[in-house]
Amino acid sequence: MKPNLEVRIGALRMKNPVTVASGTFGYGQEYARYFDIAALGAVTIKSITLKPRAGNAPPRLVETPAGILNAIGLQNVGLDAYLAEKAPFLRKHGATIIANIYGSQPDEYCELARRLEEAHAADAIEANLSCPNVHDAATARGPALVAQIPERVAEYSRALRAATKLPLLVKLTPNVADIREPALAAQEAGADGVSLINTLMGMAIDPETRRPRLANVIGGLSGPAIRPVALKMVWDASRVLQIPVIGMGGICTAPDAIQFLLAGANAVAVGSMSFRQPDAALQIVRGLADYLEHHQIPDVNDLVGAIAT
Amino acid sequence: MPYVLDCEIAANDEAAPAHRRMRVCAPQIAREAQPGQFAMLQTADGYAPFLRRPMSFERVLPEAVAFLYKVEGEGTRLLAAMRPGQTISVHGPLGKGFSIDSTISRHILVAGGIGVAPLPALADAVTRACRRPPDVVIGARTKRFLLCGDVFRSMGCEVYLATDDGSVGEKGVASHVLERLAPNPDTQIYACGPMPMMRATAQIAARSGAACQVSLEAQMACGDGACLGCVVESIFENEGEKMVRVCTDGPVFDAQHIDWNAHNFAYDR
Repeated sequence: MKPNLEVRIGALRMKNPVTVASGTFGYGQEYARYFDIAALGAVTIKSITLKPRAGNAPPRLVETPAGILNAIGLQNVGLDAYLAEKAPFLRKHGATIIANIYGSQPDEYCELARRLEEAHAADAIEANLSCPNVHDAATARGPALVAQIPERVAEYSRALRAATKLPLLVKLTPNVADIREPALAAQEAGADGVSLINTLMGMAIDPETRRPRLANVIGGLSGPAIRPVALKMVWDASRVLQIPVIGMGGICTAPDAIQFLLAGANAVAVGSMSFRQPDAALQIVRGLADYLEHHQIPDVNDLVGAIAT
Repeated sequence: MPYVLDCEIAANDEAAPAHRRMRVCAPQIAREAQPGQFAMLQTADGYAPFLRRPMSFERVLPEAVAFLYKVEGEGTRLLAAMRPGQTISVHGPLGKGFSIDSTISRHILVAGGIGVAPLPALADAVTRACRRPPDVVIGARTKRFLLCGDVFRSMGCEVYLATDDGSVGEKGVASHVLERLAPNPDTQIYACGPMPMMRATAQIAARSGAACQVSLEAQMACGDGACLGCVVESIFENEGEKMVRVCTDGPVFDAQHIDWNAHNFAYDR
């Protein structure tokens, strides 16, 4: 018998628990030439903002041990171009869409969510409250990320909850002392789930030129280097939450994804690994199905939180 | 359409000190690869390094493609250690290559250092399209780092050399030699090399009315246009178009579309 792979994140039904991390999969088009993107549980799009954004000055990317440091700065096509060009492509290909959105105020998030819902251009909203790269170096130590302050997480989540009936995910930052606080704040404000984790803030310097390797000085670290940190945060958060967790951070293979499910994630997202292997997310869906069959587990949901401690 | 294929290495030999040429058997990729396009090569089975390395096609052969690379970092050191018979994962062909207008009379290829890498494939294609080999200017730091001179000569190209120390050819950079070749509006220039050399080449082209295509290089994660890590600033003012991706909008650009003043040369190595 084929095991059940379907999971639910609030009212969002995913045919399997594997999506992609925002910013690592473009708008789906970039990878549709490698595999059927509708075979994923969902496609999570690159953050969109109300207006197009050019993003940060280059260099924006540097490789670090088993990871990538980036400071893209939310370059994106903007909502109008997403609705006109990107969403129709995703719909035509039958993809389930998690629309990651970013704004500078709660109002902007609400407008994005409303217009996405009206246009049927999203099956769920993921509010990016945790981009580490939208301030320049001079102000990076100034305004904190929304996701670093539980009260602000609650404020933004409540506003969004009132603005849309779509399933609402809140994407949180690992750059906090205790991940449970912003996660609980999102839950209490009515979020249907939390996405853990965004990138870890980091930096790298060229000793020859004495320059930071990123023009933005600081960036966000992703890739297998951060996997143990992400896994622990998913474990911490899922034990205190009633709402689902989408786990992400350095997932490269099916065994990596299974670790996140065992730690308490209801679904997972594949991030940087798609850069190295364009069909990595699809291979993880297949690997997960094989694992369930091999271990005679009838339902993927049986793995969630099933760590043996 | 790009492929991700495990390919057998046919050769991996020294081309100059710290420079090597790798030929891999990749019939599907070779059938579709255009000059100026590139492939992402996986240098390790594990995650050190994690990302593939972008390499332009030096030659596109009937059943194989060749890459010319400089050994300077962890990834290229691992590539250098690979032996014929081993397999390597090749993702490509990727990006937009050179376009050749055969109605233009004179074609000049300008290379600086390892920037010569995509030009033999281009010289081949220009020769076929225009029924005449192009002129080639090759610049390098010193004589022993001059690459591909014999390759271009064997195609019948007129080859001009420049070295920083004057150890062979003209003392100076390749763009100085280009100026002496007096490009005009009926000239197509193609350049690949360090950013200062490409900017100088773009300025010479603009002054002389010649058309100019440049092949750019950048740190790159995906090669597919998804990560937005490899962008350069274009002359387009619109927020949505300002940053162009080296991987999918390029790597070959019309030199007039690049905002050379915006480039921060301090980050070039």
